[in-house]
Amino acid sequence: MLRAGAFLALGGAAAPLTGCGLLDRDDGPDPGPDPLTPLLDESLRLAAGHRDAAAAHPALAGLLTPIAEAHHAHAAELARVIGVPLPSASAPAAAVPAGDPASARAALRESERGGRETATRACAAAPAERAALLASIAAARATHVEALK
Amino acid sequence: MTAPTPAGPADALGAALSAEYAAIWAYGPIGVRLTGAARTAAREAEAAHRRRRDDLIVRLSTGGGSVPADRAGYALPFPVTDRAGALRLAVEVEERTAAFWRAVVPVTTGADRDGALAALVEYALRATRWRRAAGITPLTVPFPGRPT
Repeated sequence: MLRAGAFLALGGAAAPLTGCGLLDRDDGPDPGPDPLTPLLDESLRLAAGHRDAAAAHPALAGLLTPIAEAHHAHAAELARVIGVPLPSASAPAAAVPAGDPASARAALRESERGGRETATRACAAAPAERAALLASIAAARATHVEALK
Repeated sequence: MTAPTPAGPADALGAALSAEYAAIWAYGPIGVRLTGAARTAAREAEAAHRRRRDDLIVRLSTGGGSVPADRAGYALPFPVTDRAGALRLAVEVEERTAAFWRAVVPVTTGADRDGALAALVEYALRATRWRRAAGITPLTVPFPGRPT
């Protein structure tokens, strides 16, 4: 049983390696990271920030949990269009939730405002097949700023 | 208003215009069921839809394309008999109109795409404010404007 488990784990680790170019022919410039990778990372950071603040301030959980879930759903969609597995939930947390609920809320509001700007720029620069998703993410982040008022 | 699946910018903008007509019409029955701040907000929302309607008519007619006509009336998704129903319809109107502008985003670039995104964001924000006024939670949806 142990051996089978180890084999499965190895198999899982090996699959992404081949996808990363181990067997690729070296016949083109490295395309570099996908331009949406920073947005994916930001979605995970925002999700973690809301989750942490909801844990620290239970009175805010009703407000913050759906927002955290939205960021997680954005991350899942972004990972899908980039073509990478969704990074594990242990993303580096955003700012440590501030001392009291009001300042935690204000800090989250600021990070949503920044996130809205990032998504707006990404939408403007995106090819057609990605633009609608990025538009919804920008709009969602704008509504988060409003909800956190 | 059905789910938007336009092929090009003119189709997408024509569909958005039809959605704006319906939104303006819907704010009639909404406004009469509201009072105070909510009524003022409804008036402002209606004015925003009228501005976009007017812009779209100018844009589509100068582009030489066909301009969809307004209708005498539109079917409401549910009867509106009180304040709660009016607020619920206002949420619905903003979400649905937002979906038509979202559909404009991928078929445009540059300033046209910026404008479509601005409309999507504005209507999504209004939907959130209407939910707050109605006491509907959560205040937000994960993907504003995305067809469900």
